[in-house]
Amino acid sequence: MSAGHTSSPDSRRALASLCETYWYPLYAYVRRRVPDVSEAQDMTQAFFAELLEKNYVGSATPDRGRFRAFLLTAFKHFLSKQWEKAKAQKRGGGRAPIPLDFESADSSIRIEPASGITAEQFYDQQWAIALLGQIIKQLEAECEQSGKSKLFEELKGFIIGDHIGTSYGQVAEKLNLTEAAAKKAASRMRRRYRELLREEIAQTVEGPDKVGDEIRNLFNTLEL
Amino acid sequence: MAETKACPKCGAELPDNAPSGICPKCLMQAGLESEQDVGSAAEMNPTTLWSGFVPPEPEDLAKFFPQLEILELLGKGGMGAVYKARQPGLDRLVAVKILPPEIGSDPAFTERFTREARALAKLTHQNIVSIFDFGQADGLYYFMMEYVDGANLRHVIETGAIKPEEALAIVPQICEALQFAHDEGIVHRDIKPENILVDKQGRVKIADFGLAKLLGKAPAEVTLTGTHQAMGTLHYMAPEQMQGAAAVDHRADIYSLGVVFYEMLTGELPMGRFEPPSKKVQIDVRLDEVVLRSLESTPDRRYQHASDVKTDVESIVAASDTRFPAAQPETAEFESLVRGRMKVPAIGLRVAGIVNLLAALLFVLIMVLVPGSEVFSMRTMIFVVLALLSLVQGIILVIGASRMFDLQSYRIAVLAAVVAILPCAPGFLISLPFGIWALIVLSMGNVQTAFARESEREQMMKESGSAVV
Repeated sequence: MSAGHTSSPDSRRALASLCETYWYPLYAYVRRRVPDVSEAQDMTQAFFAELLEKNYVGSATPDRGRFRAFLLTAFKHFLSKQWEKAKAQKRGGGRAPIPLDFESADSSIRIEPASGITAEQFYDQQWAIALLGQIIKQLEAECEQSGKSKLFEELKGFIIGDHIGTSYGQVAEKLNLTEAAAKKAASRMRRRYRELLREEIAQTVEGPDKVGDEIRNLFNTLEL
Repeated sequence: MAETKACPKCGAELPDNAPSGICPKCLMQAGLESEQDVGSAAEMNPTTLWSGFVPPEPEDLAKFFPQLEILELLGKGGMGAVYKARQPGLDRLVAVKILPPEIGSDPAFTERFTREARALAKLTHQNIVSIFDFGQADGLYYFMMEYVDGANLRHVIETGAIKPEEALAIVPQICEALQFAHDEGIVHRDIKPENILVDKQGRVKIADFGLAKLLGKAPAEVTLTGTHQAMGTLHYMAPEQMQGAAAVDHRADIYSLGVVFYEMLTGELPMGRFEPPSKKVQIDVRLDEVVLRSLESTPDRRYQHASDVKTDVESIVAASDTRFPAAQPETAEFESLVRGRMKVPAIGLRVAGIVNLLAALLFVLIMVLVPGSEVFSMRTMIFVVLALLSLVQGIILVIGASRMFDLQSYRIAVLAAVVAILPCAPGFLISLPFGIWALIVLSMGNVQTAFARESEREQMMKESGSAVV
């Protein structure tokens, strides 16, 4: 996990990019706990500022804990500290805050405590979704770069495998390909998706052998 | 409110922020399926390994382990063979488990082996078979573990019917071991009676922790139509494990624990629509809940921690301690009520008894002091008789009264009350009314019950008192 091991500028950049991807689940979590929207936003913003400034991650023990769990724990500590102090934290103290798009986050977030899952479970779910979103975006970007945007658009539904709803025949027509070619393209995209997924997860766990477990855990939380 | 869409594959509701409109669950699952694709080529099919494996004779094995004395083959299991051996230097017995030789041909295996073995070696717990050493001896992978002098639970279940009390003593130990391992992030995945050892002191030791993961999948997981041995393991496997579902975690162990628990209590496996254990054997009904909850098909509805199972079992056991039945408070109240009833007549009879004793004494004194006729005169005789009667009645009354106080010896109490009514001593004036009163009270149903209970209790206390060394 490169983000945590040293305090080099490299690791900071890695950390910053991780934060960019995963701030939303934390925000979702704090929204579940704090009814006031602007307070929730402030907290999230302040936490990330502090996280990057003090490079908390360096102190995370390397052999325990996934980044996902670590992040939530750190956030919880941060929150309780803040609430104890009971004073509003200034936004990063003059530093340019990380651009967090609260607006669109708020529009897509559904805060009702659905089916009795805890805030932590909600966090995990949102983490999973954020992760997947990141991967899909990457995949889309890759396809765009090689001029295959249309391919991506049509075949993305097949990443999850074959199912009723679309057929390769239809898609092949749209893309002007044979059915066989369409299938091949889909399977290639699927493979690339998996690679990207595992790479991304490997960044947040402490070893390639833990990737499978993390995927399973995340799948588990989505099932709730 | 935006209309919610459903995933065309799994049918689940799509969240608003679903990545590019694709179902996150299916996406995540797709990430998993890859693992199996990638692995299957290189992965050994465990079933082929075990069927061809013939464990070497102890003499033949000895050359692999010059530092040990290989004594005997203890057994051949699904994951290799176990031998009893002796470390001459330390003069202690150990168990050596060897894995089938073919397994060494997978290059990734060595790395996994070392990693897993190190993790397992960290499991130091009194209920987990300790690992002393591991490695390769001339290409043969082995573990050296603590030797457990006892039998595995399969033998115990098969030979003598396990008594419920014994099962209830075994389960908490299994829970402790499981909780410890789970806290270290290790799931057993193959909990079954064959893997649960009980030593001569009645201590439980769980073996083969984590080996299922180390060796790929447990043989039964790969094929459902495997050998008889593989089929046997299936019964203990959690549903999510059997379906090959990805999300198998420590709760699978809890399911297996439930199966073992049920089997220990009833002697049968919980299959299909099975009856709760309390309907099959005499146990506390509350244990049904514990067993059934462990056996929930959905992991989320199961106990989430082995320690919770232990807590529940122990609290039920404590509450149903039959030496002092839970009805105790009732009994105490009831008892004091009866004692209250008994008190006054008992006092009265005691007084009458004492009066009689005094009268007897008086008669004797009179006889001795008052000068009179010859020893055998009429008067003397009368006095002697009176004295004797008074004495006897007095004694009976006093004893009877004390029995009444203690709610013991119902018969003696009744006898005393009857005697009290007989007009044969001076205390009669007092003893008559109290005697009648006593008889009335003694004839009451609940009074008789109280007497009976108290006597039983006395009896049990005496017995248990003698059992305590």
